[in-house]
Amino acid sequence: MNLRRTLAISQKALRALKHDRRTLGFLVLMPLFMITIFGYTFGGNIKNVSVYIVNLDQGSPNGSVSQAIIDDLTSRDVLDAKAIYGPEDVGTNPIGIAMDKVKKADIWAAIIFDTNFSKDVMDALDNLRLGIPAMPVSIAVHLDASNPNIAQAVLTEVQKSLQTALVRDYHLLPPAVVQEHRIYGEGARFIDFFAPGVMGLAAMMVTFMISIISFVHERTTHTLDRLLTTPVTEGEIVGGYALAFGLVAFMQSSVILVGAILLFQIQIEGSALLALSIIFLLGVGSQGLGFLLSSNARNEFQAVQFLPLILFPSILLAGVFWPLEAVPALLRPVSYFIPLTYAVDGCRSVMIRGWGIDQVWPQMAVLAVFAGIMLLLSAYSLKKRR
Amino acid sequence: MNAKDVKEIATRANRIAVRSDAAISTQKLRKQFDDLVAVSDLDLKIANGTLYGMIGPNGSGKTTTIKMLVGLLRPTGGSAFILGEKVPIKANLSKIGYMPQDLAIYTDLTIHENLELFSRAYSMSGEEFEKRESELLKMVDLEARRDSLVGQLSGGMRHRVSLACALIHDPQIVFLDEPTVGVDPELRVGFWNYFKKLKAAGKTIIMTTHYMDEASRCDVVGMMRLGELIAEGAPNQLMGSASAGNLEDAFLKFARSVSA
Repeated sequence: MNLRRTLAISQKALRALKHDRRTLGFLVLMPLFMITIFGYTFGGNIKNVSVYIVNLDQGSPNGSVSQAIIDDLTSRDVLDAKAIYGPEDVGTNPIGIAMDKVKKADIWAAIIFDTNFSKDVMDALDNLRLGIPAMPVSIAVHLDASNPNIAQAVLTEVQKSLQTALVRDYHLLPPAVVQEHRIYGEGARFIDFFAPGVMGLAAMMVTFMISIISFVHERTTHTLDRLLTTPVTEGEIVGGYALAFGLVAFMQSSVILVGAILLFQIQIEGSALLALSIIFLLGVGSQGLGFLLSSNARNEFQAVQFLPLILFPSILLAGVFWPLEAVPALLRPVSYFIPLTYAVDGCRSVMIRGWGIDQVWPQMAVLAVFAGIMLLLSAYSLKKRR
Repeated sequence: MNAKDVKEIATRANRIAVRSDAAISTQKLRKQFDDLVAVSDLDLKIANGTLYGMIGPNGSGKTTTIKMLVGLLRPTGGSAFILGEKVPIKANLSKIGYMPQDLAIYTDLTIHENLELFSRAYSMSGEEFEKRESELLKMVDLEARRDSLVGQLSGGMRHRVSLACALIHDPQIVFLDEPTVGVDPELRVGFWNYFKKLKAAGKTIIMTTHYMDEASRCDVVGMMRLGELIAEGAPNQLMGSASAGNLEDAFLKFARSVSA
């Protein structure tokens, strides 16, 4: 392989991109767009869930437990209490009104405290002190659980406020607690987990796409053939393109990284350069995959059809949004065959765990092997074709 | 005959080919696509410094022959030699230039960038390239458009760019597949003057054309039909033996006599 000829091919690929302003804009802005959209939607927590609270509790000599819980609930903004009924409203049938609202889907939940709630809690506490077994007292939550995330958020909130009220106002300390020590990811938010995934996904998607389209174009216009009548070898063409598109992936990930730092203040524990190098390897491999598949596409239209085929498994199974542990065992082997899995894992380890090359080399090795195989197969497919 | 003898004979055959002064020679060269025989047992011998014209209707095998010679198609039978080396050649690739029928230049690059890419493909030095570039741009009359994107040029201009790319490295043998289609008459004269100049410098040119007036300016004309070479010779000689007034009539007469 002649280095100067290889570089001539890289230069050609980059020059063509340079002339195409719109594609160039796409390459830079698309990842920014992606990290912004994904960052804001996935990075946000559930807020302002509309609920009704019906508090029929008559209280107890020691005060109202339900009121303490409600005060705590309304001090946070996860739930938005559209209406709070007190014991004085009992004549207007507040439970019926609240249930009706849930059924009409005007609100997500109705949280109901019974007439004797505080008294029952006090009795239960007394019994507990005396060692008499007691039935737990309950708060009824009537839910529209058609959205599991929201239902979960409501239940967690009520649970949390119950805990808080009992501990703070009634000094009911649990006998044992879980004490967490974060070895990695101290202060990490979802966006920190997410940014490396988007970097990998964007780099893979874009390099694959520009690669397959470039090569289909080279094939249909016969420029690829013409290059092969010069001393340029198959390996030099493949290598030249790989270098150029690897750099494109590198540049794109830098844009995402800078965007994520500026917009979401993501944390980078390890070396940003190492994370970008991992993406470079992924870019080279994706480019090779695009090249290989380009020989099976007769035109650009057919080439684009490969995109969802590659994209969906990568989005769903490579641990970009959900951890690999969430992938069903049956599909898990597929995850291990997707190079993006290793890129995302490697980038996360560098950016969140702060690992160095001595710890992420296995992921890098897998990506390098993938890239190597793709490039060799590409060069071989070109040779065989003639 | 054992394997060693076979090898020796093959080596000797190779040496003979090397010694011959043919720029191009083929022996029973054949290309078959499934049921279609595109080129059938073609025997060609083109001497160094010849301006060789290939004529024949569409589908007669001209382009397929050229593609086999430049190594883009693998022959299904026979063999071909370029400057004594068996095709597909690798070492001699920088000695040939090839202008395909469908132009095959990068529309997303400028004229200059196209030329520079090919010059680097042939490992030319920057200095050498600059000299050749200005000479060729002058010949194809595109000096003013040097930095225009090829995609923005007219069809005729693209033809001229493609020709310049084929000649950038001053090759010993030039394959031109319909180089003058869509080129205006004035510029065509310029092309032909340049071809004559190349010939005078000892280069070999193999071109296909549909223009009979162009074919008549070649040293040797090969007439192809249905993958076979039906006649070959100097234009005057061909017209004489067919007792025809022009090459077109001559071609029709040869074609008729073959099918008869």
